[in-house]
Parts: sequence; C-alpha cells; structure tokens
Amino acid sequence: MSRRPLIGQRSWLRLPSAKIALVILAVVIFLSIFGSALAPQNPLTINANALFQGPSAHHLLGTDYLGRDVLSRLMAGTRLSVLTAFEAVGIGLVLGAPLGVATVFLGKWFDFAVNRVSDALMTLPYIFFAVAVTAALGNGLVQAMSAVGILLAPGFFRVTRAATLEFARAQYVEAAELFGASKLHVIRVHVVRKVLPTIAVTTAMSAAGALLAVSFFTFLGIGVTPPAPTWGGVLSSDLDYLSQASWAPFIPGALIAVTVGALNALADAFRDRVGPGAMPVPDPVIKTHSTLTQSDREATDARQTAA
Amino acid sequence: MAVIELTGVAGAIAPRRRRGRSVAAKLGGGLAVLVPIVVLSSFITYCLGALSNSNPAATILGQDAATPAAVAKLDRALGLDKPLVVQYWDWLTQAVQGHLGVSYFTQIPVSQSIGQRLPVDLSIALLAVVLAVLIGGTAGTVAAVNRGSWFDRGVTIACSVVSTLPAFVVGIILVVLFAVSAHLLPASGYTAPSAGVGPWLEHIILPSLALALQVAADIARQLRTSLVSVLDQNYIVGARVRGLPYRRVLVRHALRNACGPALTILGNDFPIMLAGAVAAEVVFSLPGLGQLLLAAAEERDIPVVQGVLLVVATFVIVVNLVVNTLLAALNRSADGVSA
Repeated sequence: MSRRPLIGQRSWLRLPSAKIALVILAVVIFLSIFGSALAPQNPLTINANALFQGPSAHHLLGTDYLGRDVLSRLMAGTRLSVLTAFEAVGIGLVLGAPLGVATVFLGKWFDFAVNRVSDALMTLPYIFFAVAVTAALGNGLVQAMSAVGILLAPGFFRVTRAATLEFARAQYVEAAELFGASKLHVIRVHVVRKVLPTIAVTTAMSAAGALLAVSFFTFLGIGVTPPAPTWGGVLSSDLDYLSQASWAPFIPGALIAVTVGALNALADAFRDRVGPGAMPVPDPVIKTHSTLTQSDREATDARQTAA
Repeated sequence: MAVIELTGVAGAIAPRRRRGRSVAAKLGGGLAVLVPIVVLSSFITYCLGALSNSNPAATILGQDAATPAAVAKLDRALGLDKPLVVQYWDWLTQAVQGHLGVSYFTQIPVSQSIGQRLPVDLSIALLAVVLAVLIGGTAGTVAAVNRGSWFDRGVTIACSVVSTLPAFVVGIILVVLFAVSAHLLPASGYTAPSAGVGPWLEHIILPSLALALQVAADIARQLRTSLVSVLDQNYIVGARVRGLPYRRVLVRHALRNACGPALTILGNDFPIMLAGAVAAEVVFSLPGLGQLLLAAAEERDIPVVQGVLLVVATFVIVVNLVVNTLLAALNRSADGVSA
C-alpha cells in the first residue's frame, strides 16, 4: 500500500481548520509539559491586595478571589487535564478497538457476548459511573478517568467492529483467503490499515469528550486537593463570586471550549479523509429486530453465509 | 458463493413472510437484547460496591465498637458474608420491588432519598428534552429547507460552537446573563410544581436550557444532514410535481423519513443529558440525584451509590426503549409508504 503524503492534495492537513486545530493542540501539549515551569507567577501565591482584578500588564488574565494569578493557575493546571484525558482515551482505545476487530473473526457467541457488555456499559452515564467508581476505589482523578475510559470503550468497539465488518467482507479479502492467507495476515494487512482512519476519528472525538469530563470532575473537585490548580477548579471558584467578577468564568470556559473545539475540528478533518462528507449514522443503544439498520442486517447476513 | 445467491433470492421475496413471523421474532429478539443489558448493567453497578475495600460494618460500628465479633455479626445481618452472586441476586430482587437498601450512615431508606430528589432531575431532564427537540428540530429543519442560506451557515457554526461548551459552562454563562446581570430569573434553588407552575418553570428553565443546548446542536446537525438527503429523493420531487403543498410534503413525507437518526441521537445523548443535569444541579444549587451521589461517594455510602446508579441506568434503558419503539414505528410507516 502506498503511503499518502502528510502534506499534499489529498491530505487531511489541507483543511485550514485542521491546521489551526493542530496549532492549538500543540500549544496545549506544550503547556502541559512546560506550563508550570513557564507560569509567570506562583499559581499558589495569595495576594490579599489584589482580589478580583481584571486583566492587566501584571496579571494578564486577572486574579481570583484569593488574588492568585489566573493565567499561572491555568498554565499550571494544564498537565493534569491533558494527562488524565490521555489516560481515559488510552483505556478506551486499548479495550475497545482490538475487541472490535476480534469479534468479527472469533465467532457468533463471542460477538454476542461482547456486544451485550458494550450495550450495558452504554446505559451507564459517565458522570454517575465515575463518581460511583471513586466511591468504591478511592477519590482520585485517575480512578474517575479510568471509569470514563471504560465507558469510552463501547464507542471504539462499535466503530471498529462496523469498519472491520465492512472491510472483512471485501472481495480482495476473499481472494487473499483463497490464496491461503491466514486470519492474522488478513487482519494485519487488509483490516487494521483500513480501520485506522476510522479509529483516528473516534480517538479525536473521545479525547474531546474526555477533556470535557476532566474539566467537569475538576470543577466538582473530584480527586483534587484544593490549592492545586486545575482548569475546572478555576471555574468553580469563580462561580461563588459571580457578583464580584461576572466576567471571570469566561476565561477558563473559553480555554476548555477552544481545546475541545480543536479536537472536534481534527475529528472532522480525519472524517473527510475517511469518506467525503461522511456523517456517521448514529447507532441506537438498544437495537431490536425492527430497528436494525441496513448495515446491521447485511452484517448478520454475511456472518450467516460465512458460518 | 451459491449460499450468498440463495440468501439474496430469499431476501428478495422475503417481506411478506418476514412480517408473518415478525411478532414472535421481535418479542424474542427484544428480550434477548434487553435482559442481558439490564442484568449486566445492574451487575456492574452492584460489583462497584463489592470492589471497594471499604469495610461497611466497621464503618457503621465506629472505631471503638468494631470488634471482630461485632463486625462479623453485622456482616451477617447485612448479608455481606454471602457469595457475591447471591448478594447481587438478593439486592436485585429487592430492588425490583422498590427496596434499595438503607444508607450506612443516615439509616434512611435509599429509595426514599432517591424518591425525594428524582422529581428535580426529572423536571429538568423532561423540559430539556422538550427544549432540545424544539430548538434542534426547528433549526435543523429550517436550515435544511434553506440549504446554503445565511441561516443554514449560521446554524452550522452555532452547532460547532455549542458542541464545544460543556453544560456547566453554559449554565454559568446563563446565570451571568439572566440572573446576575439582568435579574430576570432566579440563579439557584428549586420549587416543586405543586407550589405553582410559574415559579417551578422559573427555577428549572435555565438549568434545562443549559443541558438542552448541546443535545439541540446534535439534533439540528443530524436532522439537517438527513433532511437534505431526503429532500433530494425522487419521491419528494414527485410529490411536489403532483401539486401537494410544500408544507405537507415536508412534514408528511420528508420529516417522517428524516427524523430517525435525530431520534437515535436523542436516545444516545440521554446519558449526556443526565451528566448535564448533575452539572446543572451544582451550578444552580438544586437538590437532585447528583448531589445525593456526590455526598454519598464522599462518605463511601455504598447502598446510596448503587441505588442512584441503578435508577439512572434504568432511566437510560427506558428512554432508549421508547426511542427504539418509535424508530420501529417509523420504519414500519416508511415500509408502508414504499410498499
């Protein structure tokens, strides 16, 4: 398979939105590595003489209710948000994607069982599940985000399974099998490479969802020891002082929105690459005979003929 | 190869026969899907409590009274000495009858605390669904009908922006706009509908809007996409050529066939709405299920945590069953139209 150039006519990078998104994400990742070192002031220093200050030369994004520098707090809080979001997406990817490929090749019962577990996980709302997990396993952001990762897995699983079904039924796969290609060879050469772009879309979308989840957890104060700076924490401390500084929540809010927006734009760019104008048809959580989509029916038919 | 052709032929002549065996197949198929989902999601819920290495009996007794004998006795009373599966089965059979156990700390029945708080979240969620369908449906339809217009482009941009904003940020923005700056609506609190529909609506409109916007954006985007492709179909052109009024064609022919994916989105987004409800509870200080769960999680009050999670998961399943039924009805009416 010839590799497409990273920058060229058909590359996903040709979209301006994808370029802007990459720049934003690069900045966020840079901040997550060097943010606390580069912060202009100590994010924990309290200054009683500078409460609720607006943006100024000294405090570029103003100060909070304890006079702490908001810019420094946001910069220092980046690492925790990004790392735990990566954690959740990583867990979802590792649990979901390989199973999505495996269910297509490992027989009907395995497929049925994994599908039902995936359906069951989809009925658990992430915030309730994550809070319940922190109750069981201890109050920590790592625990909460691993719960989110487990709930992201069904998304990876369904998408990968659908894409694998599509490619595993292609004529060239049939031809390869006639020539004696093993299942592993087919998966490695014909399936995984084709499925990767679809997984990339899901990864970017899940990362956006995970980032929203982290900011919500830090907003609620789950797994955070109070003086430690986080994106959501800055927001929640602003909430109590809206009458003094009603503009304050817009800064962390915008930071979260821009990062999530960049990830969504990246997902859109990947999706254009997968198929022009492809808008995924949503997959119902509960599917019975009468609401199976056309592709589901084809998949069942294909499996029956293969058996 | 021959097998494939055979099923192809069978598929071609199947519709009549398929309808004949459909009732039993549908019921059986539905149960085969539903029962494992209910059992698995409740089992996952129950196992969370068992996973915790907390020692409920010792916690309840307190440090001084927690002698090994007393702990063992209380464990027996709570049924915690039985195997996990037996414990789960006892819990589930009790739960089906409405008994979710008793809080380790307050000794208040879990179903009672949940019953007190559920109306808050139900009010918000219900109004949010209505708002999401109204806003998203209208925006999506108007955008698809006026494809390429400034309104269409505006909807697309608004959807992209809204989908980056989590419910708690939207909630804070709404508080700033309508409560802090304009003093139009209360910024916090809840009034039961029994105290008057006006005050009730006043208190839940902002939280509902906060969690409806993201779902509305999803619905608008999905409806626009599917409506645009339906409006290009020949039967729409045909209906127009036959002289049917445009509004009738749009509602009877196009929307009916285009709203399936948007309906699916509503079912898929329902868990997101519940997460938004927790956010709204915090932002608007509403006494809802989320607050109950957060407090219980901090104390490791496992029966409360399990109860809340079970109730919430049940709601997700019920909503998705309704969505599934509506989708099936839509499919049937679409089949009826094409037949």
